[in-house]
Amino acid sequence: MLKVENVTKYYGDFLAVDNLSFTVKEGEIFGLLGVNGAGKTTTFRMIMGLLDASSGSVTWNDKKIDYDVTDKIGFLTEERSLLTKLTVKEQCLFYGTLKGMQDDVIIKRLETLLEKFNISEYKDKKIKELSKGNQQKIQFITAIINEPKLLILDEPFSGLDPINVELFKNEIIEMAQKGSMIIFSSHRMEHVELFCEKLVVLLKGKTVLEGKIADIKKQYRKKNIFIKANIELEKLKQVDGVLSVSNVGDEIEVKIANEEVAPKVFEVVAKASDISKFVIEEPSLNEIFIAKVGENYEK
Amino acid sequence: MRSKLNYLISVSLKRKIKTKWFMAANIILFIVILAALNIDSIITFFGGDFNDTMKIYVVDKADSFDIFSNQMQANSFNLTNDEEFGYELINYKEDKTAEDLIKEEKKKALVIVLEKKANVLEATITSQNFIDTLDYQVISNALTNTKVSLAILDSKISMEEINKIYEPINIARVILDENEKSEDEATSMIMSTVFPVIILPFFMLTLFLVQMIGAEVNDEKTTRGMEIIISNVSPKTHFFAKVIAGNLFVLIQGMLLVCFVVVGFLVRNIIGGASITNGVIDEFGGVINTVLASGLGSKLIYVVPLTLVLMLLTFLAYSLLAGILASMTTNTEDFQQLQTPIIIISLIGYYLSIMAGVFDGALFIKFFAFVPLISAILAPSLLIIGQIGVIEVSIAIIIMIVVNTLLIKYGLKIYKVGILNYSSKGLWKKMFKALKD
Repeated sequence: MLKVENVTKYYGDFLAVDNLSFTVKEGEIFGLLGVNGAGKTTTFRMIMGLLDASSGSVTWNDKKIDYDVTDKIGFLTEERSLLTKLTVKEQCLFYGTLKGMQDDVIIKRLETLLEKFNISEYKDKKIKELSKGNQQKIQFITAIINEPKLLILDEPFSGLDPINVELFKNEIIEMAQKGSMIIFSSHRMEHVELFCEKLVVLLKGKTVLEGKIADIKKQYRKKNIFIKANIELEKLKQVDGVLSVSNVGDEIEVKIANEEVAPKVFEVVAKASDISKFVIEEPSLNEIFIAKVGENYEK
Repeated sequence: MRSKLNYLISVSLKRKIKTKWFMAANIILFIVILAALNIDSIITFFGGDFNDTMKIYVVDKADSFDIFSNQMQANSFNLTNDEEFGYELINYKEDKTAEDLIKEEKKKALVIVLEKKANVLEATITSQNFIDTLDYQVISNALTNTKVSLAILDSKISMEEINKIYEPINIARVILDENEKSEDEATSMIMSTVFPVIILPFFMLTLFLVQMIGAEVNDEKTTRGMEIIISNVSPKTHFFAKVIAGNLFVLIQGMLLVCFVVVGFLVRNIIGGASITNGVIDEFGGVINTVLASGLGSKLIYVVPLTLVLMLLTFLAYSLLAGILASMTTNTEDFQQLQTPIIIISLIGYYLSIMAGVFDGALFIKFFAFVPLISAILAPSLLIIGQIGVIEVSIAIIIMIVVNTLLIKYGLKIYKVGILNYSSKGLWKKMFKALKD
């Protein structure tokens, strides 16, 4: 289990991370979210041992992370960390060997992964000759080449099209199923929502939201109702507890303060004609994120 | 499992050596060295009249051909330092016939008319074109000496006496200081000129070293590959890998340069480099002979190892410095700007070693023989010309060891922070803080 306990990091007088704590268990996918400059990369660097925390501790199975265990860790940085003059094979051999792997094992694993990501033909191409998306695939491959027990992914989906996001997502889920701990950050909340069980939302180094996604959504009392009916929007707006009403395509989206408001809305909708849809949905993580971060942004 | 340090060293070396550009650079170097060592043969191959003996038709109206011929031989040797006499002297009676011959022979022939006017020798030199300056000087000196000889003859001094007069004077050199051998005087003069030329490749290798380490560290840093590398190996391992690889590279490159020179000399021997100019080999051989004859050979037994130790320590210091500075800079352009002053430090040593022969005993120059990075060139130069002794060079070596130790101790602290620093804002503050930690 990875334990981040009361970690604080100062750059001079600037507080980058403030008393951050979380745990990640084997097979768990953990999301570290936040706007730019929230402290995500600093946290990752502290986990990787690239930065020393000003206070607090990071442990893996109750031991400090050092160069004895880094062979079992995979790390994908937010910016490209590839040596662009090398070929894909040379790059993977380089990073793989630094992970303590043997050449033949690296080549075998590389071939499997290249095939999985449909880029086998790029094995001997120089990285600088590849497209941004393919470079990101190679970067991801270098991070997982050693089948890490702890995988840290800083914005793994950047520069990827939806098909490749799906490929990455499947690989990440497969690794988690095999018991790897995965921590990742992303600006795309739909990705976090898809496979994260737990998350921490950082704002200016401080934790503004944390816990299991299901619990977070439950705690966030606001709900959304999607309606397909012939009804005047003004009538819906007049219902006590309705926060906003808007047209989303051919549907009406009604945001309500809590679940108790839903029956009152239903009463109004029931009087309308051509009713084909009335669905109460939980708010998206994106909505919660914007609400929570916005709420704390000015503080 | 292979050691990560060894692996990083081998990767760095392969990246530098297993490239077509390394091959290309060395092919060019080989061609340049080969050409430089055989330049006379190359010039000869493309043709020209420099290899021909100059014909001199002497219209002797003053009965002085023999004396002039002797003087030409003597002056030719004195001025060209060439035992082979490059002139063919023909005693002609009719100047008109000779001038006709010149037209046929063109610029490698000339006519000298010798005649006495008022009992004093006068000469007219006729040629088709300009005469080479050296040829003119030989002829001019020979004519002047002939004129003097004739005057001496007129004063009834025997030919034997005249020859004695013209022989170079025997000088017995006495130096009162027992520590200074008289033969060192000549060799000192030679070595003060030759030594800086011999160590010229040192600059080239220093430049290669600084460029290699700087470029590699910057490349890994700017691509952010450094974060992945440092998350797998410690900054210390990474730093030493770069330094060791850089030094191994310059040793390999240095050995290649030596091989190129050896091959160049072998080629020169095979193609018969002892052509008309007899330049490099003879001069180099002359220096070696002079050095051996003077007993400097025994001096080289300790000068060479001391120089090599100082150079290796200086390479190490340069590589440490390059690594530290490269870690601090945030892009390749910044490092390239820093690279110039580092190389200039070495250049100061080079110029001071040349000037040491002129400013004999200058305290200012002696002081710099102990200054790190400069000492590698200056201290051996001063040792050879006898301005400092083995003890002083040993002190320079100890200073270099201390400097390298300090560079490793404090440089590592800066390196650890520098390689993961991507901002030039507050750079010096960060570095001083790193030193304190």
